[in-house]
Amino acid sequence: MVGMEYLLLLLGAIFCAYRAIVSKKILSSTIYLACISALVSAVLYLLGAPQVAVMELSVGAGLVTVLLVYAVSVVGEDALDPASVIPKPLAFVVVGLVAAFLGWMIYPSIQIAPETGPVDLASVLWQSRVLDVWIQIVLIFSGVMGVLGLLSERMPEGSKETHS
Amino acid sequence: MALILIALIIGLPWLGALTVLAAGNKNPKWQHGLAVGFSLASGLMALFLIPFTSSRVALDLWLGPSFGSLSFVPDGLAVSLTIIATVIGSLAVIFSVDYMRGEAQLGRYYFLVLFFIGAMAGLVLSGNLLFTFFFWEITALCSYGLISFYNDDPKAVAGGIKALIITQVGGVGLLVGSLLAYANLGSFQISDLLSKANTMPADVLSIIAFCFLIAASAKSAQFPFHTWLPDAMEAPTPISALIHAATMVNAGIYLLARFFPAFESVPGWMEMVMLAGIVSALITAFMALTATDLKRTLAYSTVSQLGYMVYAIGAGGVLASQFHLLSHAVFKALLFLSAGAVIHSVGTRDMTRMGALGRKLPYVRNVFVIGALALIGLPVFNGFWSKELILEVGLEHSPRWAYGLMLLGAALTAFYTFRMTWLVFYGSSRADLHVHPAGLWMKIALGVLAIGTFTTWLLFGGLSGTLAQSLPTHHLEAESTIHMVEMILLAPATWLALSLIAVSLALFWFVGRGFALKESPIWLRELSESSFGFEPVNTFISRGISGLAEQLRFTQNGQMNWNILGIVGALLFVLAVLLWSGV
Amino acid sequence: MSLTPLNIVLFGIVALFGVGFYGLLITRNLIKFVMVLQILIKGVVLALVFAGKLSGNLGLGQSTAATVIVADTIVAVVGLALAVQVRRRFGTLDVPKISTLRG
Repeated sequence: MVGMEYLLLLLGAIFCAYRAIVSKKILSSTIYLACISALVSAVLYLLGAPQVAVMELSVGAGLVTVLLVYAVSVVGEDALDPASVIPKPLAFVVVGLVAAFLGWMIYPSIQIAPETGPVDLASVLWQSRVLDVWIQIVLIFSGVMGVLGLLSERMPEGSKETHS
Repeated sequence: MALILIALIIGLPWLGALTVLAAGNKNPKWQHGLAVGFSLASGLMALFLIPFTSSRVALDLWLGPSFGSLSFVPDGLAVSLTIIATVIGSLAVIFSVDYMRGEAQLGRYYFLVLFFIGAMAGLVLSGNLLFTFFFWEITALCSYGLISFYNDDPKAVAGGIKALIITQVGGVGLLVGSLLAYANLGSFQISDLLSKANTMPADVLSIIAFCFLIAASAKSAQFPFHTWLPDAMEAPTPISALIHAATMVNAGIYLLARFFPAFESVPGWMEMVMLAGIVSALITAFMALTATDLKRTLAYSTVSQLGYMVYAIGAGGVLASQFHLLSHAVFKALLFLSAGAVIHSVGTRDMTRMGALGRKLPYVRNVFVIGALALIGLPVFNGFWSKELILEVGLEHSPRWAYGLMLLGAALTAFYTFRMTWLVFYGSSRADLHVHPAGLWMKIALGVLAIGTFTTWLLFGGLSGTLAQSLPTHHLEAESTIHMVEMILLAPATWLALSLIAVSLALFWFVGRGFALKESPIWLRELSESSFGFEPVNTFISRGISGLAEQLRFTQNGQMNWNILGIVGALLFVLAVLLWSGV
Repeated sequence: MSLTPLNIVLFGIVALFGVGFYGLLITRNLIKFVMVLQILIKGVVLALVFAGKLSGNLGLGQSTAATVIVADTIVAVVGLALAVQVRRRFGTLDVPKISTLRG
């Protein structure tokens, strides 16, 4: 069957996403997240976007996972209280409706055969999306600041009083 | 070279803003020193920019098809306003060394001032409407932060909020106009809008023109948005001098002057501009007659003088309006800063409690009188030449009744300026105020501005030359200073205006002096307090928006899950509407 | 409805989106919040590349997706840094509890 590989990969990703959300242990959620990242990057590769697939794999499955594990190890495994603020059926119905509407809206538009065009990431990135590159630089700078904040071991001033 | 200078003019104050913050409030000496150093350096760079004035683009950084390019154009209009912003900015910072000594949170103060100076330079130098808008909003933000600088004073907070909301109305006007221009021209470049304005459909062009007029009126506190500026006087006085007299309020004038060639053919636009100028100039002059707060009086007179500039643009005199803008920036900064020195010395802004301060503060009195004479428009001072030039343009290109009203405005200006000067510095001492003398830094800043008040009219030839040469679409003609002097001295209109001013002064001296301290007639006071009926309109806008925000607060209760449910619910709503309408 | 690759990918995108939104609605733990955001963003990246492929401008789709990945990683980093500091300061990661604290 055509598209079997897509079906398997995406079903796996969705299963992992579901498990990541319902899992009680935060570390296993992290592992599931890395799995989603790997599966999605495989789909990206199949779609013909190898550069983004590599980025997704290295950043999503690599960097973010490491950061999550580190953060969990710093704060300790907090017990997740599953009692959500919003009633779960309400959340389910709203999200289900959104997903159904989205699918219904997009479905007709993908029935036309896709055109093929130039796939030159570098030229697009450096010519028509230059602002993106600048924004990325600023973002990475702020990300570095964020990592410094993450790694800083210093207790914020006056935190002893509020610590419970 | 021009590129490096522009980068330094905008970058130095911003860098200074960060270093002042980094210096920390524990080192006020460092903060004063850094702020003065960085602002002076920026002013110096702006002066160096003069030889590089041209209509060519200095920087052209391509940001992709949807944003166009980040460009800076150092043409005459931009450079003259940049110099005003940075030089008067650095003088205001120098003045602040004495004025703000010992105040808490100097870091916040200097950060906002320096951030403002850089943004103002960027606003006028930018060649891209989108970035003009960004800088425009930064100046509004800094203005808000500085009006509400004393944030434990409810009046200051209310004034700041009002100024922010009213100028945001203008910001929306600018954004809508820019987006419409982009939708029709496919470009945010100012040069494209100027050169291709005629290719746009006439109705779109007129919508853009009136959007920009709203933006300019709100920013420059012109009718019907003239009520925020007096309330903005809660700011520290150097800020009133810098932002609310010399620079930010000129942004509206700049916008009108910049896009004048594009909109001049729009039916009714010039008339509306002229009308806004006349109405603002006159009603605020009336309001200044009854005000007893020194800074409010100056604020009314600022709106009134800005009205003259707007009127000049409406009459087609871009050059005259820019010339008056330059003169006004210098003498009004001088007036505000010397008023600041007075307020700092005696600790009150109420003119009825002052009086006879001239003997105790001779230096401040001298420079204040110089500024006042320039505001009145007496010969030799820069205000005389520029105001007469505006009246000259008005006589040639506007209806007679408009010209007559502006002459009346000039007479009223003389009257209230004289009243103000007399109440503060002359007459009898009315309250036992403890006076302590003005500091050295204050005197330096005041002295420089006083010299400027005597001399900046000599720059007319240079100003008109650079404007004519670097603004090809405006079709201005270069005139020499001597020619301008000859023309004004020989024109009968000048002597008419001067004799009216003399009559007005005589009227004050023989009749008005006795009334200056008395309660003004109740109808006049009520009319002034309600800003001729437009206070409720402005208050309604400002209160309405604040009230709406207050009502919607319950939706922002900090419960993240519920907020996300709101977002998802909105998405669901949008999708449902789209599906229902069959997209 | 046939099982062409495009239909399957559309289904996957919508499902990832849905699961991500559902997670955002019911999650109370701050670190898990960051994770759920990641899941949502995976759907977005896939959608951008998918749209690029459909419109024949895969380069544009890819470059936008790359920007989104960078932005999203920064969000994760800053979010985690916040979470760690919040845990240190308040001793809890429970969002409703944090938002009622005064510190």
